[in-house]
Amino acid sequence: MKIDLEKLKEIVGADNIKNDIADLYIYGSDASVHKGLASVVVRPTTIEQVQAILRYANAELIPVIARGSGSGMSGQVVPIDSGIVMDLKKMNRIIEIRPEDMLCKVEPGVVDDELNRALKPYGLFYPPAPASSRVATIGGEIANNASGIRSVKYGATRDSVLGMKVVLANGDLVNLGSNTRVEASGYQLDRLMVGSEGTLGVIVEATLLLKPLPKFRCLAKASFNELKDAGESISEIIATGAQPSMLELMDNIAITAVNTTLKMGLPDVEAIVMFEADGKVKEAVDAEMKLMKEICEKHNGFGIEMSYDVAERTKLYAGRKKLFAALSRYQMGLSCTSLADDMAVPYSKMAECASKIHEIAKRNNVVMTAYGHCGSGCMHTKILMDPTKKEQWEGAKRAVEEVYDYVRSVGGTTSAEHGIGLSKAPAWKKEKADSLKMLKAIKKALDPNNILNPHKMQDAPEDWVTATELRYPVE
Amino acid sequence: MADKHLKDWKNELNICIRCAYCFEGCPVFKIAGWETDSARGKIILAYGILTGNLKPSQYIADKIFQCTYCRDCSERCSAKVSVVDVLAAARADLVEAGFASDTHKGMAKNVEETGNIFGDKEIKAPVQKGEIPVYIGCQYLARPNQTKMYLKILEKLGVKPLVKDEICCGYPLHALGFRKEFAEHKKKFLELFPEKEIVALCPTCAAFIHEDYKKNVKHITQFILEHLPEKNLGLKATYHDPCDLSRVMNITEEPREILKKLGIELVEMPRNRKTSHCCGGGGGILMSDVKLSDEIGIVRIKQAIETGAPLLITPCPTCEQVLKKAAAVVSEKGDGTIQVKNLSDIVWKALKT
Ligand SMILES: Cc1cc2nc3c(=O)[nH]c(=O)nc-3n(C[C@H](O)[C@H](O)[C@H](O)COP(=O)(O)OP(=O)(O)OC[C@H]3O[C@@H](n4cnc5c(N)ncnc54)[C@H](O)[C@@H]3O)c2cc1C
Ligand code: SF4
Ligand code: SF4
Repeated sequence: MKIDLEKLKEIVGADNIKNDIADLYIYGSDASVHKGLASVVVRPTTIEQVQAILRYANAELIPVIARGSGSGMSGQVVPIDSGIVMDLKKMNRIIEIRPEDMLCKVEPGVVDDELNRALKPYGLFYPPAPASSRVATIGGEIANNASGIRSVKYGATRDSVLGMKVVLANGDLVNLGSNTRVEASGYQLDRLMVGSEGTLGVIVEATLLLKPLPKFRCLAKASFNELKDAGESISEIIATGAQPSMLELMDNIAITAVNTTLKMGLPDVEAIVMFEADGKVKEAVDAEMKLMKEICEKHNGFGIEMSYDVAERTKLYAGRKKLFAALSRYQMGLSCTSLADDMAVPYSKMAECASKIHEIAKRNNVVMTAYGHCGSGCMHTKILMDPTKKEQWEGAKRAVEEVYDYVRSVGGTTSAEHGIGLSKAPAWKKEKADSLKMLKAIKKALDPNNILNPHKMQDAPEDWVTATELRYPVE
Repeated sequence: MADKHLKDWKNELNICIRCAYCFEGCPVFKIAGWETDSARGKIILAYGILTGNLKPSQYIADKIFQCTYCRDCSERCSAKVSVVDVLAAARADLVEAGFASDTHKGMAKNVEETGNIFGDKEIKAPVQKGEIPVYIGCQYLARPNQTKMYLKILEKLGVKPLVKDEICCGYPLHALGFRKEFAEHKKKFLELFPEKEIVALCPTCAAFIHEDYKKNVKHITQFILEHLPEKNLGLKATYHDPCDLSRVMNITEEPREILKKLGIELVEMPRNRKTSHCCGGGGGILMSDVKLSDEIGIVRIKQAIETGAPLLITPCPTCEQVLKKAAAVVSEKGDGTIQVKNLSDIVWKALKT
């Protein structure tokens, strides 16, 4: 692919271009198992530069991959056809904070935690809070519809975005959404952009809805000897109308991982449920906590510890927080891969889903755990395997397929928050079989030359294992 | 073999989940802003060399050497990857492939010929008989007044320091990838210091002797704290944690306790203790990339100025040097002032009164 570097230099300046093979190699991967190679990395700093890059790329039919921090887990930013990687981290200004309107306007490269640090003095926060909020950019979060532990109460990114400025494939700039909480009529184009994974446009500014920081927050941890009981507690907590601000599940593999690698001393039980309530009025938080505690106890939950104190809460949550670290070091020789990493199932199927994941792992000779923000219907797993062995990839491929076959069979969905990209695309395409034509038509209408993050989601290859090279050296 | 040293770290490289959490506090990434400058970027480069996807090049070497070894990345890493160990192995492979910089080669030669990194034969330890072996290290030896001050502090606290005609601890050879030279040097060092217990003045020497030679090292601050009487200097200051002291040696409270005992009101920077921001002086960049080192130093000194304290105290000679320079630059630009002092100055002042 011929790319006119001089032209790109004219647009962003020589200091904002990289094309050494070493740079391209780095920008060819993310937190997924995939690896590709871009042709050039550019770093725009203004909307006009983004427009000029897209105008050029559209005219020359060059793929453009918008990139935040590259923390996506499904290969969303891995180039398949080389092209231009557009690193948006330098567009990182918080444009304005309007407490009176409960909104802020930011550039796409602002990191979530940095935004929340800036909002704190106003007594406000931006709620989606993915676990990766310390690095995830607002652009990446919107394009993935990220969510997190507090989404059970505050919703996902889609519920927190009021509007945005987007540069379309042909370089046109459009203003979508509004500055208001409601916008009733017409196609919700701003919402269409949420979760579009860089395939429909480049988000260059976002208007975000803010929430007041709660005054009280209480966290509890309950142990269960049966996974089923834990699942039923979660389901009943939601069904009774309780309002948790966090409702998390950890299975026995997750508990063992945390205990063996980090010596955390969590109870050696089949499952742990963590529940939290927050609010302005302590009595109201007390009432929510009492209700959730009673439900857990009714379903044989025991050893319930609870605290309002920040230090105590940090201690209670430490096992969950450090789970990823623990999984990475679960067993010498095994790597923690982001495969079948997220899904959503109806509440009543949480426990069954976790058990299915265990069964599938065993059958395919890999290790899989089940945990997640179950309060919002989200279940996570990771596949722990020796990534240098071919047969492990065969097992992983079968496991991914079986997990998602099950998820579909119970009316669940392929991605709760980590996106589709490449590694979840085959399962997602099966799930969306009857709307694939619509999805493709939308893509064609907005990006007729297919330059925006091509070959992802509905257009991704059929086999994720061979979609790109794997980032591990497979023997 | 381009991966002779790296191949020992294959598992560690496979464990990295590429989450990018190491972007958050990496001082080099914060300045340069390209992913190539982050810990994850460097880990990916090392992986590329190991897997044969990338051929070692000058560009890759430059990137792998642009790291202060501050270990902020490992501290924040979701998988606790020993980034610095991986990079040290990558550096060793790159040096063996002929990519050592002239500055670093010169430093290695200095250590071999004179026993210190400066290649200055005049730099000599003030040899004295005593009870407790004290290791001074090149940086303090090049600052004879401060060395003298620390030794006097120890004597005043009733301790008789034993000072030998010492040589460099070897850390720079190891960190900059001169493994062959390091192996020879290590032998010499261990012959000179057969003792199991050592008190070290410099945080970096302390961390290295502790980690690599597996000796029971006490940093001078721990030692001072045990013996220090209470005083009241009535000062207000902020404290800068040297990376090797906080993140490697886990020594964060002792220096603060010392300041408290001396009646100093401590105002913390938001990034303190294990999340302290690097001064920019480590990992060899002070020699090979002064501009980058200066820029990192300025970021840190601005954080110190924001506390409103008129004084910054640190027990590390390198941090002191870099931050003093940064304070001068910032002050000249009219962006605030702060005095930078070594902990020894403060303790000595207190003991004199
Ligand atoms: C350890 C770990 C934990 C995680 N936890 C969570 C979690 O709890 N919840 C969750 O939802 N996710 C989680 N993730 C996934 C990931 O961090 C999020 O999806 C995050 O939103 C990605 O942000 P990013 O800036 O890294 O985007 P990138 O990975 O760089 O990009 C992701 C997608 O967004 C597109 N994109 C980026 N910027 C723009 C833009 N300005 N305009 C248009 N498209 C754009 C890209 O093209 C790509 O398709 C986790 C990841 C890791 C590694
Ligand atoms: S050691 Fe410090 S400078 Fe080096 S990569 Fe890690 S955080 Fe960055
Ligand atoms: S934080 Fe650790 S695991 Fe994550 S990318 Fe950096 S080195 Fe790898």
